[in-house]
Amino acid sequence: MSASGAAPTRSSSTPTLFQIAATFAGISSTAFGGGQKASIRHQVTSHGWMDSDEFMDGLEIAQVLPGPNILNLAIYCGQRVRGIPGAISAFLGASIPPFAIILIAGALYFKFAANPYVHGALRGCAVGALGLTIGNALELSWDERDDWLKLVLIAVVALVVARFRMPLLLVLAIFGGAGIVREYVKAARKKRGVP
Amino acid sequence: MNAGLHLLWVFGVLSVLGFGGGKGIIPQMHAQAVTQYHWVTSTQFTQFYTIGKLVPGPTTIFAALIGYSAIPGAPLLGALLATVGMFVPSSAIMVAFDALWEKFRASPWRLIVSHGLAPAIVGLVWASVYTIGRGTSIGLRSTDGLIAIGVCALVALATLRTKLSAPLLIALSGVVGLAFLRQ
Repeated sequence: MSASGAAPTRSSSTPTLFQIAATFAGISSTAFGGGQKASIRHQVTSHGWMDSDEFMDGLEIAQVLPGPNILNLAIYCGQRVRGIPGAISAFLGASIPPFAIILIAGALYFKFAANPYVHGALRGCAVGALGLTIGNALELSWDERDDWLKLVLIAVVALVVARFRMPLLLVLAIFGGAGIVREYVKAARKKRGVP
Repeated sequence: MNAGLHLLWVFGVLSVLGFGGGKGIIPQMHAQAVTQYHWVTSTQFTQFYTIGKLVPGPTTIFAALIGYSAIPGAPLLGALLATVGMFVPSSAIMVAFDALWEKFRASPWRLIVSHGLAPAIVGLVWASVYTIGRGTSIGLRSTDGLIAIGVCALVALATLRTKLSAPLLIALSGVVGLAFLRQ
């Protein structure tokens, strides 16, 4: 790393495209959920690809924009170190192993799903996945507890989507829009010092 | 070849609308893959979602399994098209956004947009609970239903209160299913 600062040369820490793909292939085929973010952070900061602040910026964009957080984060890291070719390497590395793994899982599913024991286990797994989804929903709702209007929005969205199948685009436009207006008003009030 | 284009379109739209890591797209994915196009049954949809949570990588990779079932005679092509549709558009947005980041970084809109969208996404997650729950095809008023409610409550509690991983919790639920939910 150069100490001059003004023109950062990354020669000592710039990975090859293959290294980028291999790094994210390794993480995406072994890590789950939140563990992946920690793994990516460790990889990119310990190898000097970027500093912690740059990583945190990436994590934030990855979460704001559509798409799986981990895949977005991998793309951000690849792009930061090697531009668009780096982004493509990271994309391929982060998506090919899960694709291969789910195909193998799918092949086993179609072969054995009719077996009564496998059938029972699958029903149990599905109930477990439902429990996880409920846990996530509770956790996410709890995060919004300081604003009654947001809790109302959550309930109304759940109802209109589950019962009346409102299309996703409309939900985001109407209720996402309402949430954004709410946040905007809150931010404006804060600025003027109104509690 | 029509099914291939439908796969790309359906998953491409979900990809672009997949704010919040794609947590909110499950109800619309179900509406299109099960109700509109009949690529999979409601039970299969729930089981594929479950497999998506069981394997490493993003949950939405289970789009591949829907694609696998969508084109008769060309399962691998279907799986590939669904996955490309699911992942490429959002990734392209991520790449394109890099140029705008410096501007967005200092903007107050950053937090306004991400916090503002949150309630809609959380509501969509509750709607997915309904979608996925129906696909377990377990009646609530049965012995199986009681077992399912118990497992569900324990897993939800474990998600909130422990650090046990998602695949482990699903696998443990599978053991309960193996013992009690064989029918």
